[in-house]
Amino acid sequence: MMDPTCEQAKALMAAAWTPGELDEAHASWLRMHLTGCASCAEEMSLLGNMWQRLGDLPVPEPSPALRQRWEQTLQALTVPQYAQARPVPAAPSAWWRNFWPANPAWQMAIAALCLAVGLGAGFSMHRNDSERDEVARLREEVSSTKEMVALSLLQQQSAAERLRGVDYSTRMPSMEPQVVSALVHAVNLDANVNVRLAAIDALGKVTNNTRVLESFQEALPREDSPMVQAALIDYLVQAHDRNAVETIQNLVAKPDVNPTVRERATYAVHQLAQ
Amino acid sequence: MSTVNTSSDHELMTAVAGGDLHSMSEIYERRHKALFRFFFRLSGRQSPAEDLTHEVFLRMIRYRHTYQSGEMFEAWMYRIARNVFADHTKKHRLEIPAAEGQMEMVESSRPTPHDAAVKEQDLTLLRRALRELPPEKRELIVLSRFQGLSYEAMGRILGCESGTVKVRVFRAMKEMGQVFHDLRREKAS
Repeated sequence: MMDPTCEQAKALMAAAWTPGELDEAHASWLRMHLTGCASCAEEMSLLGNMWQRLGDLPVPEPSPALRQRWEQTLQALTVPQYAQARPVPAAPSAWWRNFWPANPAWQMAIAALCLAVGLGAGFSMHRNDSERDEVARLREEVSSTKEMVALSLLQQQSAAERLRGVDYSTRMPSMEPQVVSALVHAVNLDANVNVRLAAIDALGKVTNNTRVLESFQEALPREDSPMVQAALIDYLVQAHDRNAVETIQNLVAKPDVNPTVRERATYAVHQLAQ
Repeated sequence: MSTVNTSSDHELMTAVAGGDLHSMSEIYERRHKALFRFFFRLSGRQSPAEDLTHEVFLRMIRYRHTYQSGEMFEAWMYRIARNVFADHTKKHRLEIPAAEGQMEMVESSRPTPHDAAVKEQDLTLLRRALRELPPEKRELIVLSRFQGLSYEAMGRILGCESGTVKVRVFRAMKEMGQVFHDLRREKAS
């Protein structure tokens, strides 16, 4: 049986190899032990030498492609890619340049005339339109509040809350780009399988969105849950996304793919090829 | 002009957990090389090591809600890295890293001494000895020798006391020493 002091010495030897791990009291104890124990002294010498030589092994470096890949991924995750591009205002036409006077006095006169006409028209239409405007404004406010609630819930720590967020998003009459973006984000990155499944389901309303389809094609090979894989495949088939055929075929070729998913993917390739 | 981000990893990760994914960029700058080297030493291959490094950062974003305040970022990150590697070996049955012929060598940039050939041979044997260790022992040596982690930090990653880690590292080194000398004897005969 091993001497308990030798056992203690072994832990201290490992500590002695690493700078800053051994205090003076323990270092002194170890030195004394090694003086009296030939077996431990030999181990300390051999293994300490090997520990040093491990430091001579060259340091591997990642290729530049790794950083490039990461930057693309982070950009895809942080840029609100589903926001609509703002149209660039067109330059004023020649007709307008000729019509609009260069003299500021004339410009002011036209502006005052427009204001007077506007005020008159406004007063006459005010009574009929005020109620209708108010209802429209209220509707808009309710809709944007729902959107805010959905987006806020999708950021919550609790998976149940995030599921509620997905549920909220499905109750909206139309899906705003920000909500679509948040749902796509959930499909790609949410830790909870149920949230990912619910988000795919919620995005069923926008099967014609090319950004969503592209994102799902990217998510499919990365996804590790067979249920979510199946849901993504179904979505792509429902959207009749022929561009997804290659991605799905690659999934079929993977040796470790779930047999049910493989069957579904094979059927999907057949459906999309028609 | 580039600005130096002085926030701690913990502050950055807390911001990521709060929805600020841009903070992940700084974490990447600080940690991606160490993670790549961790995976390279474990797998012996460049391409899988890069894939696994990328996967760790994706999982950090995916599981950002699990990051607790008061938790050591490094321990949390390495726990994710270990899970990523475990999933990888399960999928690809890479219990043993690349065989000698497939093992990707890294060119040493150090100036070569007069006995470069002997030293190079020794380094090759060391690499082989590390590769032939059981995965859990190889991991212990990689974490303690190459990743620059303290035994206390390793204890948090591995879920045991730092004293236990020291003894396990010693045993892993002893086994590696045995493998190294067997290989050397084999080479000489």
